[in-house]
Parts: sequence; C-alpha cells; structure tokens
Amino acid sequence: MLEIKDLHVAVDGKEILKGLTLSIAAGQVHAIMGPNGSGKSTLSYVLAGRAGYEVTSGSIIYNGEDLNALKPEERAVKGVFLAMQYPVEIPGVTTLTFLKTALNAQRRARGEKEVDAMTVLKTVRKRAAALKVSEEMLKRALNVGFSGGEKKRLEILQMSLFEPKLAILDETDSGLDIDALKLVAEGVNALRSPERAMLVITHYQRLLDYIVPDRIHVLAGGRIVAEGGKELAHELEAKGYEHIVGKAA
Amino acid sequence: MSSASAHWLDERRALAANRFAALGVPHRRIEDWKYSDLRTAIDGANDDAAASWKIATLPEGIELFDLADVGAAPDWVKAHLGTLPQNAMASSSFAHARTGFAVRVPRNKSAEPLHVTFANAGSARALVVLEDGAALTLCETLVTDGYANLGLEFIVGANAQLTHIRMAPHSAGAVQVEQYAVTVAHDGVYRAHFFNGGAKLSRAELQIALAGANAQAHLSGVSVLGGTAHADITTHITHAVSHTASTQLFKKIAGGKSRAVYQGRITVEQGADKSDSRQTAKALLMGERAEADLKPELEIYADDVKCAHGAAVGDLDANSLFYLRARGIPEAEARNMLVRAFLEEAVDEIADESLRATVWQAVEDALPGAMLP
Repeated sequence: MLEIKDLHVAVDGKEILKGLTLSIAAGQVHAIMGPNGSGKSTLSYVLAGRAGYEVTSGSIIYNGEDLNALKPEERAVKGVFLAMQYPVEIPGVTTLTFLKTALNAQRRARGEKEVDAMTVLKTVRKRAAALKVSEEMLKRALNVGFSGGEKKRLEILQMSLFEPKLAILDETDSGLDIDALKLVAEGVNALRSPERAMLVITHYQRLLDYIVPDRIHVLAGGRIVAEGGKELAHELEAKGYEHIVGKAA
Repeated sequence: MSSASAHWLDERRALAANRFAALGVPHRRIEDWKYSDLRTAIDGANDDAAASWKIATLPEGIELFDLADVGAAPDWVKAHLGTLPQNAMASSSFAHARTGFAVRVPRNKSAEPLHVTFANAGSARALVVLEDGAALTLCETLVTDGYANLGLEFIVGANAQLTHIRMAPHSAGAVQVEQYAVTVAHDGVYRAHFFNGGAKLSRAELQIALAGANAQAHLSGVSVLGGTAHADITTHITHAVSHTASTQLFKKIAGGKSRAVYQGRITVEQGADKSDSRQTAKALLMGERAEADLKPELEIYADDVKCAHGAAVGDLDANSLFYLRARGIPEAEARNMLVRAFLEEAVDEIADESLRATVWQAVEDALPGAMLP
C-alpha cells in the first residue's frame, strides 16, 4: 500500500530525512520508534502533505500513485489519515460542524452522496460512545478547552469516522495517562482491518504493549537503522536507543 | 427669526465654527488621523451640502424632533444638543448642518427598535436622549455617497440602555466621516456594533464618557474589506469615575489593497478606581498589499484598575489550515471556515438574534471581495 524509497526531506533547507526506505502492506501495523529529533514527526507531516516539508529526492508511492504530487485534502480523500501529535484548537468551529464538513468534503470529492446533519450525528454518536467522547464535547469548539486525552480521543474518533486506508498515528500516546492510553489503543485496535494499513509513530514502547505491531522500524538520524518484530520494542526499552543506534552506526 | 436658528444655538454653533477654523480638516500629519488622510480624500469638498436622514416608522413612545426646525426646539433638545465633546469634523458638522433629528425615549420607557438611514452627501446631526431607565435599540444604516460628515450625540441616562447597530455597507466612492459622542450616566449601558464594508475613506470615531458609577460601554465590530476599501474605527473611552467597565472586540478582514484601521484609547481618570477595561483588535490580511493598523492605547491615572488590551495582525493560522485540509476540506473552503469563525466571535456580541442575522448577512455579502488577495 505504501512504498517509501530513499526519501530525503528538508525543512527550511535543513535535511531531516536522509534516505528513508519503508514499505507497508494492507492489513499490517508498523511502528516507527526513535529518539527525539530523529525525524519521526517530519515523516508523518510529509506523508500528510504539510507545506514546508520538501521532498528533495526519493519517492512515496501510495497505492501506485505519487503521494507527494497530491494536496493534503486530496490525500485525505484517497484515504490517508494523520492522527496528529498536537491537534489544533479552532475557536468558532464546533466539533460536530467540523466533522460533518470534513466527512462531506471527502464524500463529495469521491463522488459519493453527502450526508445530512442527522445522519452524521447518529454515525458520530455510535462511534463516540466507545471512545468516551461526550455530546458536550461535540458541541464545543474544535479541541478548544479539551484535555490532552480528549484531543487524542477525538483524533481516533475522526479516524473511525473517515475510515482511512492508511492511518498514521503521530505520538498518539504522548500526554496520556495509562487509562487514556488503553482507551485510545482499544479504539485503534478496533479499526485494524485487512484493508487498512497503520503506521504508529512513538518514542516509547508502552503504546506498543497495547497496539501490537507486525513490524518495528527504528528511526535515527533520518534513516531506518534497525528493524524487527514486536520484541524489538522491549529490547529498546531495556537497553535504550543508544545501544541500537550505536550498533548500527 | 428663522426656525433654523436660535440664540442658544447660535452661540454653540459659533464656538464649533471657531474650533473647526482653528483645527481645519485633519490630515495624515495629525497623529489621530495618520492612517486616514481626510484632507486628501475630500479634496476641497465642503460641509454645506445636506445629507438626508430617514426614519421609516417611529416606534410608539419615542418623541421625534426635526432639527431643521431647531428654532422651535423643546427643552430636552436645548439641554443637550451640541453639549458633548466635538472633534474637528464634528465641530464642522455642528456649525454647518441644518438637517438632522433628535429623539427622546422618556423615563422608564422601553421602545421598539428605531431604524434610521443616512443617505446622499453632506452633513447631518443627530441627538438621541435616553432618560433614566429608558431602553432603545438604534439601527443606523449609512448609504451615503460622495462626502458625508455625520455628528451624533447619545445621552444615556441613569439605568438606561442604548443598543446601537451601525451598518455601513461597501460604498466605493464614498467618504464617510462620523463622530459619535456618548455619555453614560450611573448604571447606564451603551452597547454598539459597527459593521464596515469599507469606502474610499471611512472614519467612525467614538468618544465615550463613562460618567457615573457602574456605567458600561461594550463595543464590537467587524470590517470586511476588499479592493481599495478603507475603514477606520477610532474609539476613546474615558472612565471618569470608579466602578466603570468597558469592553471592545473588533475583527477585521482585509483583502486586495484595502486598509483596516483601529485606534483605541482608554483613559482612566484619577479616582476612577475599580475600573475594568478590556480591548481586543485583530486583523487578518488576505493579500500582501492589504494593510491593518491596530493601535490600542492606555492612559491610566487611577490605582487599582484592571486594563487588558491586545492587538494582532496576521495571516490565517497555518496550523489550523493544514489541520482542516488534512481532513479533506479543500483549501478555499478551509480558509472560508476559519475566516467566518474569526469574524463570528465579534458578531456574536450582538445579543438580538435577528439583528445578528442582519449583520451576518452583510458579512456574507462582503466576504467574497475581501477574500481576494
């Protein structure tokens, strides 16, 4: 589903990703682990199409298509979803209005029939309950005054609503206590499916106890320096990044 | 004796004429007018022409007096007309204008909304008197063209409530100069919302005195400007006594080569302790050639006051825009959502639902032009 080859990405003229290669098939969950500054967030942003993240060489092929040629909204329409590390607060736009606008924008772009407010509300409610997203949150301005946990739960609610083909979770565990983490992980696990690929980006092994990946890649200095199965997370936890990164260097 | 003249008035007009003669038409080298060069904009036009005013229906309980007949003015007009501070242009309109109106809402009377429209070019005056405990909503619309100079005085009595909605839809060739002089007695409230679609030059100046304890002024407004439109809102609120409160929230969208101006001065006089003032002005620039000048100022001569002010000029927040687009919302639609949300906060200050809808419709009408770079 996703083939990244020798990807080099610069931000403000500074090269952050330096030859990253990675491939994920439908139905798989891969984790990217790495220390701060290794390029994890850059990878998530470049996949979502954020301005200022310049692909200087290499390629990102998504379902046979050059992802880098698409606008952020076009990627979303084609099933790419990024659960953001820092969901943005948007005063003046209520959460439910935002969800309806986004859902219908995607449907419209795909040539599907738009859904009315009542149908959206019903669909959202059904998914919101499992993630403990309250009616009251849906009525508030998007992410405004939400706790860290509430913001992350709303990200997962969106993932559930938009039903992406490729979901990228950028440090979804950051700022969560253990109960919130379990809740979010359950939400993510419920969305695992043979048609869907997931890329879970995290600094800590903890999240991977709950979202068990098929494969783990260790990112350091803008490249993948180690790869392995789910047991690699525990090795990293026990021995630290220095051990692995140093061995690769 | 002509009915357009009277001894009590001649003196006040002469004082105003002298003041205008001494000050002259303001221009950009006058600090208060540096963003709005009126002298260049009016280019020799004078104040002798008469702008017209129209009140479609006079709500029950409101007394109306036509200032064209000022020689026969009742005592309440004599008591108040021309008594509030006048800047240079208000001095000119007071000295020259022979048209205008005065309305009075009697003590403890709540009137239905009063709709007034100013049209054409020239000068006009208005006086609005709310006696103690009275309440009025004044909906004012400007459809002037050419050069119009309007001077309005609002007397808000003790426990009285004046709500003022001022609509100035876009008028490309117009030069609109307005001064609103307002005094609020104890426990009185003045609420105002200003909508500006922009003109060749538009300058609305509010001089507000919170003259009695617990007097309040709450101002809000939106300017939605495109092309070469200009709109200047200048406010000066004086907290003259203790326990007075004011809030201001002005939002501006400037596209094309338009210019949005906000100057807000707060004066807290000596002894006006426990005064509370908040002012916020924000502008979003939609084009590289658009300009916003926001200047909040505080002059505090009292102790123990709360004054907060903030001003920010910027582009749409890149993080918000990316977030919406990453959820599948096309860029143009995402920009629209963010701009509407930005303006809505100020429009939401209008409590009455139907008035809010009226202002919002004007925003919608003006937005497409203002969203162009």
